[in-house]
Amino acid sequence: MEKSIESIWKEGFLDSNAMVAPKLNNLYNQKSIHIIDKFKRMFKINLIALVVFSFIILIVSFFSKIPVMGILMFILFNVIVIVNKRLFKGLNTIDKNVSSYEYLKSFDTWMKDQIAVNYKMSKYIYPYIFIALVSGFWFSNPFRETLNRLFGNYQPYMVFDVPVFWAIGMLLMVILLAIFGGRIYKWDLNIVYGHILKKLDELIADMEDLRA
Amino acid sequence: MSNDFYISSILPYSGIIIKICRAYTDSQEDFEDYYQEVCLQIWRSRDKFRGDAKWSTWIYRLTLNICLTLIKKKKRHREHYDSDYKIQNEIVEDEHTFSDESLNLLYDAIKQLSEIDRAVILLYLEEKPNKEIADIIGVTPNNIGVRINRIKERLKKILDGKIN
Repeated sequence: MEKSIESIWKEGFLDSNAMVAPKLNNLYNQKSIHIIDKFKRMFKINLIALVVFSFIILIVSFFSKIPVMGILMFILFNVIVIVNKRLFKGLNTIDKNVSSYEYLKSFDTWMKDQIAVNYKMSKYIYPYIFIALVSGFWFSNPFRETLNRLFGNYQPYMVFDVPVFWAIGMLLMVILLAIFGGRIYKWDLNIVYGHILKKLDELIADMEDLRA
Repeated sequence: MSNDFYISSILPYSGIIIKICRAYTDSQEDFEDYYQEVCLQIWRSRDKFRGDAKWSTWIYRLTLNICLTLIKKKKRHREHYDSDYKIQNEIVEDEHTFSDESLNLLYDAIKQLSEIDRAVILLYLEEKPNKEIADIIGVTPNNIGVRINRIKERLKKILDGKIN
């Protein structure tokens, strides 16, 4: 006679070995490794994307007749990549033969240092991007021709061959970007790495809770 | 997670967690990962338990949700990284076994069901009333009765002739 599934279930679990719970060893080991590996992967992909993007923008700028912008952007993106690659090397020096908590704390310290460097750089990066964009257009012949067509014989007061209202506007924008560059970076960081950073904080908080 | 919390609030219900995690994993390593993740999430979510349902029901619900989330994540990961990803419903050889051969066969059969059907039959086999199963799964109790009969028929077909 065939057994019913209900009886198989009941009888099967009468054996005490079937219900042995796994030991909760190294609860956070896998999680710590996983979170850091995920960050490393994302970080590498972002650096590669920046290099690719810098070449694309350089090529496109030549075709669009705004090479000044392309060159300035190319230099900027590659400087960002070089700085962050150096920072990334520091991540590989973190000792893995320590406890999960120490490993995560080291990673967190590295992360904070890395964010601090990029935060400082952002105060210059965003104004630089703006200047690169504006200069790109300003030094492009098609753009100058369009301005001439639009304004005709209007000759504004010039400073270093730049109309004064244009210079003041640019200066204001550069100041604003220098002030808010750090915040823009944090906002950008949150979009890309926010999820991982939140998980990292949660893990460290859990571990500190346990150690208390 | 404190040892006291584990011993007093999780260990007495570890059987539930073990049975569910076994149904959603194919290797001892995965099973241990799922079990640990469930324990961790129970501990983290302990303040959200308001006592509306029994602690055991709450653990059932949480364990199922976590297993379903983990299995989805694993599937996405496999689809993304593994070109040899085995299509759904294909029988995956199970690495971990119970000493009772019939139970092994039953688990293999359960693993051929859809993820939700697995949850339904596990709760049914644990003798949970239809209302509680419906509550945990999030469907009407009438629907559960019909569904259980259909799942049992399917399991019988899969196990046909294999168990005496």
